[in-house]
Amino acid sequence: MKKLLLMMALMALVFTACEPEDDHDHDHEGELITTLVMSLTAEDNSTYEFRFEDLDGEGGNEPTITTQDLPSGTTFSAAISVLNESEEPVEDITQEIEAEAAEHQFFFAASNNNVSVTYNDDDGAGNPLGLSSTLTTSGTGSTSLTVTLRHEPDKSAMGVSSGDITNAGGETDIEVTFDFNVQ
Amino acid sequence: MRLPLILMFSKSFTYFFFLLSLVNSVPFFAQNNACDYRLIGVVEDEGTVLPLSEVNVFIEKHDKGAVTDSSGYFSIEGLCADEYHIVLSHIGCTPHEAYINLESDTFIRVHLAHTANELEGVVIQAQSSAKTAQSIQQIGQQTISDRANLQLSQLLESITGVSSLKSGSGVSKPIVHGLYGNRITILNNGIAQSGQTWGDDHSPEIDPLVANKIQVVKGVGALAYPGAKLGSVVIIEPQKIGTDPHLHGKFNYFFESNGLGHGAHLMAKQYRPALAWKLNATFKRSGDKRTSSYYLANTGLQEANVALQLEKSFNDKLFNELYFSSFNTIIGVLRGAHIGNLTDLAFALEREVPYFTKDHFTYQIAPPRQKVNHHLLKLRSQYFLDDLRSFTFTFATQINDRKEFDVRRSGQSDRPVLSLYQLNFYGETKYQQEWYSGFTLNTGVQFNMIDNVNVPGTGIYPLIPDYISYETAFYVLAQQQLEQWFFEAAVRMNQQLQNVLVRPRTYLDESQRFQNNYFNQSASLGVNYRFSPSYLLSWNMGIAMRNPAINELYSDGVHQGSSAIEEGNIDLLSERSLKSSINLSGQTDRLLSFEVLAFAQAINNYIFLNPQDQIRLTIRGAFPVFAYEQTNALLFGTDLSTNFQFTESFKAQILYSFLRGNNRSEQLPLIDMPPNNLSGKLSYAFSKPIHFKKRNLENFTIELDNKYVFEQTHFVEGQDFIAPPPAYWLTDLKISGDMQWSSTRMRMHAGVQNLFNVRYRDYLNRQRYFADDLGINFTIGWSLNF
Repeated sequence: MKKLLLMMALMALVFTACEPEDDHDHDHEGELITTLVMSLTAEDNSTYEFRFEDLDGEGGNEPTITTQDLPSGTTFSAAISVLNESEEPVEDITQEIEAEAAEHQFFFAASNNNVSVTYNDDDGAGNPLGLSSTLTTSGTGSTSLTVTLRHEPDKSAMGVSSGDITNAGGETDIEVTFDFNVQ
Repeated sequence: MRLPLILMFSKSFTYFFFLLSLVNSVPFFAQNNACDYRLIGVVEDEGTVLPLSEVNVFIEKHDKGAVTDSSGYFSIEGLCADEYHIVLSHIGCTPHEAYINLESDTFIRVHLAHTANELEGVVIQAQSSAKTAQSIQQIGQQTISDRANLQLSQLLESITGVSSLKSGSGVSKPIVHGLYGNRITILNNGIAQSGQTWGDDHSPEIDPLVANKIQVVKGVGALAYPGAKLGSVVIIEPQKIGTDPHLHGKFNYFFESNGLGHGAHLMAKQYRPALAWKLNATFKRSGDKRTSSYYLANTGLQEANVALQLEKSFNDKLFNELYFSSFNTIIGVLRGAHIGNLTDLAFALEREVPYFTKDHFTYQIAPPRQKVNHHLLKLRSQYFLDDLRSFTFTFATQINDRKEFDVRRSGQSDRPVLSLYQLNFYGETKYQQEWYSGFTLNTGVQFNMIDNVNVPGTGIYPLIPDYISYETAFYVLAQQQLEQWFFEAAVRMNQQLQNVLVRPRTYLDESQRFQNNYFNQSASLGVNYRFSPSYLLSWNMGIAMRNPAINELYSDGVHQGSSAIEEGNIDLLSERSLKSSINLSGQTDRLLSFEVLAFAQAINNYIFLNPQDQIRLTIRGAFPVFAYEQTNALLFGTDLSTNFQFTESFKAQILYSFLRGNNRSEQLPLIDMPPNNLSGKLSYAFSKPIHFKKRNLENFTIELDNKYVFEQTHFVEGQDFIAPPPAYWLTDLKISGDMQWSSTRMRMHAGVQNLFNVRYRDYLNRQRYFADDLGINFTIGWSLNF
């Protein structure tokens, strides 16, 4: 018995040397989206920015979300850009979404009726995409705006092309919520 | 009169596993009525004392006969008290005539002078026909071949106490007594299956059609094999080559209406003194399955498998076997089950019919899908020092290549999101010795290495890290027969070393290396007592340890299959289990026979995925967080099977299984525990052949199967996304028959599953969140033995 245990221990020692190889072509979260930036430009050319950033991806550190309060009674043109900032150079995923516009759609849902968003672009097949939109504020108070990007939604389903997510289906690539005040 | 007992004494070269079975499944009962005696015997090779299968046993006066099975065992029933001449014939042997004056149930042992050497019965035999103090139930070749449309674990569901954990219709893994995945061992041709056993959506990569027998050992586990010792063991055994010098084989074809599935299986074999060979090939294809009212989009399946077996022996001393098998499959995953985050899940749960449901059928398998290849190469040599002592050397290697594809942007759907490549090497040296006193000893040392690599190129941070694990093990098994008593004891020690490489999430971080060393001890003890010829009581108990698996230690990220963030825990300790089961089988009279099993298993440090109170915010939205935690668990249950033989033709069977799983530390139920279920089968077999166009349709049988699965009520709200689905009741109908054409025997069968097209969802099917389970299915098939 002793011999056996010794042998097992010995084998263990011998094999301790073999370890998984740490090559450098392994995968990070390459396809990851780390950042969504919604840039708002008012009629007077003043700019505002909402930013969701989670550089280490799902898990790890918590994301940082920055917003700015918006003036009431204003119409903004909104442009969304989607990035992967974990790569060097930074990967612009906005272009991928544009290239597959028919398979993507952004949805905007505000918790309060003092903010409304309408589409300002087209996916080439007569349906909205949402990279470019118009945001209008009215009244005052705190609100939250949820921006959702669906991959392969059913754009012909009821209400979807007018921005109602209920029947859209597909799967969510992005879902971020911005809290801010309209004042 | 001590039938199976004497059998247990058999001097044939047994392996522990060998010891594990038989007796319970075929209890031996004395009959009081006249002409109700049974003649049982075992036929062995005179030279090697190895059992001989396929021996024709013929009783001249009565025109009755039997053929020995793989353990050389035969049984002829319904004999009167009389004098008989029996003839035993076997290819390559001199026919043997015996005279018997039958006065009671009788056991005989016959040695045939075998003229040719053969490997038969040595290696493959080693895991079959076990004698043991454990409960074993099995599925035979005819059932496997009649249900060629089913996967391994779906086949096993017909055994009480066995269920399947499914992810749709194409992915299923067996659950025995509430344990599955990392906790149970699956032996494919004597080799522990090595693959990604950790995922709920990873099926065992085994073609059941290659097997002629599938057994479930419900006891303490097989201490002679690598893998976890906590749970039960599933043994898949390929048919052995036999000794027929002519080319023989079998061709099997099936069609099923649900999914328009069809498949073919060909087996060919030939024994030659120079080399015995057998070849198996299977092809299966099916398209989108259908529930009671809609198609399940993207649930097709394709499978192509091949297996080659070669056997060669030298001088009655050295027996060699080579086995190669390749299993290749592409499995579609329900499109509507592919979701992004909690919001998507909430939407999906509310829908009656899943997203992406199409109104037409297709064979096409689009992403999400899995592509899995598994290859096994095994070499085994057994060398006999003398009649009672032998050494066995085994070497095996397995390659498991798993790729999972999801719907991706930028035309990247052909790029896998998960790509794991596993290489496994296994080596064993075993020594076996038997004594005339009825004592048997098996001991061996084993080495097992697993190299698991995430293949670069997925563009996704892998859920589990790369690792290399080494296991060295030593075991001893001893058995002793003492009159009506049978004892067995086993001890296993193993040491496992894990070298783990956790890669950084971003280029800015460094890799981390971990090294874990575990020492596990397991032991088991079992006793059989035959307190009358008709009743056998067995009891066994075992302690076992299982060290945490890589996924439990290091998982980190979203597990797409369960749309949750899974977090490993590097501080996990080894699980310690104590399991005991007691099994009583018997026959009250001709009408009723039964087998009842009760078990309890306490697992300390039971590792499970516990839902956390937090929701993790990501750019994809919110995800629930599940962390691997430990608790003390208790599982207990009973399995009951009862057979009524009303007449020779008319039979009924009732099966019931009950299971409870508790998290003792937190006073909560364990989730994913199979709900209780009850099934009843009625079958009528025509005792006389039916004449059909000059042919005889033999064994024409009609079977009606009912299965009732209870709702899983042992559940606390909030333990899962939704409450368990309600109870359901399924009805199957089947007819079958055989026909002989000179030297070719044809078997035909036709059946309907879910006859009433019941709409239901199954608690153990992860697809239940999204869609109903399968609707009505018509099957038809035939097989030719040539």
